[in-house]
Amino acid sequence: MKRWFVYFLFGTAGAAAAFLLYFWMGALSPLNGSPNPNQSEQSMPLGKAIYQAKCATCHGASGKGDGKAAPLLNPAPRDFTSGMYKIRTTESGSIPTDDDLARSITYGLYGSAMPDWGPFLHGDSLKAIIAYIKSFSPRFEKEKPRVVDISSPVPSSASSVANGKRVYAKLQCASCHGTDGKGTDATATDLIDDWGNEITAANLTEPWTFKGRSTARDIYLRFRTGMNGTPMPSYVGSASEKEMWNLANYVVSLARKPVWAMNAEELKAFYSAADAEAKKNPVERGKYLVESSCEGCHSGYSADGKVVPEFKLAGGLVFDIYPFGKFTSFNLTSDKETGLGNWTDAEIKRAITQGIQRDGSRLLPFPMPWTSIAQMPDDDVNAIIAYLRTVPPIRNEVPLPEKPNIFSYMWGKFEMLILKKQYPGYIYPLKDFSKMEHDAKGGTDGGQDSEESQNTSSGSLSTPLVVHNENPFRNDVKEVQP
Amino acid sequence: MKKILKWTAIVAGCLVVVGFLAFLYFIPPLTMIPQTAFTEPLAQALDAPLKSIKDPAEKILAERGKMIVGRSACNDCHTPQGSQGPNYDEFLAGGGMKDGFKLYGSVVSRNLTPDKETGMGTRTDAEIMRVLRSGVFHDGRLMEPVYMPWFDFSNMTDEDRYAVVVYLRHLKPVWHKIPDYSPHSDFEKLSETAGDYAEHQSVH
Repeated sequence: MKRWFVYFLFGTAGAAAAFLLYFWMGALSPLNGSPNPNQSEQSMPLGKAIYQAKCATCHGASGKGDGKAAPLLNPAPRDFTSGMYKIRTTESGSIPTDDDLARSITYGLYGSAMPDWGPFLHGDSLKAIIAYIKSFSPRFEKEKPRVVDISSPVPSSASSVANGKRVYAKLQCASCHGTDGKGTDATATDLIDDWGNEITAANLTEPWTFKGRSTARDIYLRFRTGMNGTPMPSYVGSASEKEMWNLANYVVSLARKPVWAMNAEELKAFYSAADAEAKKNPVERGKYLVESSCEGCHSGYSADGKVVPEFKLAGGLVFDIYPFGKFTSFNLTSDKETGLGNWTDAEIKRAITQGIQRDGSRLLPFPMPWTSIAQMPDDDVNAIIAYLRTVPPIRNEVPLPEKPNIFSYMWGKFEMLILKKQYPGYIYPLKDFSKMEHDAKGGTDGGQDSEESQNTSSGSLSTPLVVHNENPFRNDVKEVQP
Repeated sequence: MKKILKWTAIVAGCLVVVGFLAFLYFIPPLTMIPQTAFTEPLAQALDAPLKSIKDPAEKILAERGKMIVGRSACNDCHTPQGSQGPNYDEFLAGGGMKDGFKLYGSVVSRNLTPDKETGMGTRTDAEIMRVLRSGVFHDGRLMEPVYMPWFDFSNMTDEDRYAVVVYLRHLKPVWHKIPDYSPHSDFEKLSETAGDYAEHQSVH
């Protein structure tokens, strides 16, 4: 009797274990993955389906311009809920016509991440997507677009260009675009749009970066209609029709040759000038390099995989790669304790070109691609360092790389090379940075006394973006306007 | 009997030590390899396509492109992996990174060489620049930002992106077929990213 009971017990336990194992395996099995969100449901209206497949990654599912890729894009994607559009043929402040939207979608907005959807969206799908985008803003139901009259163009001529130059001075275009159109001697450099995003005035010598394309008519329309939501106003009261056309002709004449049209001598001259400029202005060059390579990994993400702008360059993305260890992207801001504030230039350079950490230990050649940064010219590496010095401090403590002990590493290598096992790599944020917004930006690692807070706030930078409150029991931070 | 046990222990101990030393010799931990062993082969592989360029203007552009391809770490994902690190004979021929995502499907890094059948040979300049600028493939499909950091490359200037295209056109063409994108995660290896991980955590 007793023996039977034991058998029964083991049998049940075994069956239960097998059952559980089955479900556990099922949950882990790759075939059980949820379907790709890119694939739209059949029942969805066409416009919504296209929007979710093609637009939502940048413009966000709710049209607020807060998609997954949005925080790192410069210029930022459009917020459709405001009904404000830059590229229009309508009066300042008015909503755009359907044709304006169609043009922006078909040709894209040069100088931004908005591509030319022309080859993929046309006919009914283009109409459907425009209707869906318009549905985000109530303005399209209430208002009618007020189209401007562009019936009297002034053809380009030497006198028209010369007149345009005078208009350029009269309207003080140089304060944002510089006297040369490149913005070199511009006085207004800290431009922001209505959403508080940093924007740059167009470089008028590079017509292929003009968002609304670059014919005289397009450029005239930008003066005539203004660019809603940006500091670029409509000049309709301060200049006559003719003056604006002359100005458009002048801006067209400022264009320089793009590199794809240059011959060898011109390219050589162009690039040596660009290098000299970069050497003279390393912070700007460094900003360009950091924005086009470092930000993606060295930023704090929210749990749904979106960069939290407050933690840009503050590190905190974990790469868990078996059997090599766990690596967290470092805080690149100039915070003294958790960032690069106390590192010397030589230490930063050694870390990013030779993979040697501050304590002298070595980094693996991945996930931090120092082997690639080692291929950069010296000037560029110095420019990156110069820029990182100017990044305002953000406190975010990240752990140093966790490396396995030699025996588990050996076993992992054995599994990889002999048993041919493949393990998943995990990339995830250290914590949900979007929830850190106001109470943990100052002290992500918990308790921290006021003395320490004062230390961090008295950084070498004259205007730190983030300072700690005096109350030692709350780690709140407030933003200081420079 | 005791003697046999003793000798077995000694032999086993020796084997462990020898095995450990052999491991260190054949597959040393990556931090024991000098840095130049990583950077120099990469520098050579990056330089190789420049040598055969005749046209002086293209050469200058390709040199710029080389600088950008080098610093952007394209090689880290787009060069196939041999048993001892990247296989530079097939520089940028794709397949170095295979990932299955629960949310985003399976991706394999593409073949960037100008091979007509499996690489970028038939892509136009505009198509390649569109992928770098906006993450939109030649067929209109949008790239999830977790695959390739196009949102970083989007902040480059068009002229720099053009230089990258000129450089890629001069790579050695390698026939290396890469499986098409699949919306399901059909690899054994199932990576997780922030979005996936959030789901993963809410399940457990």
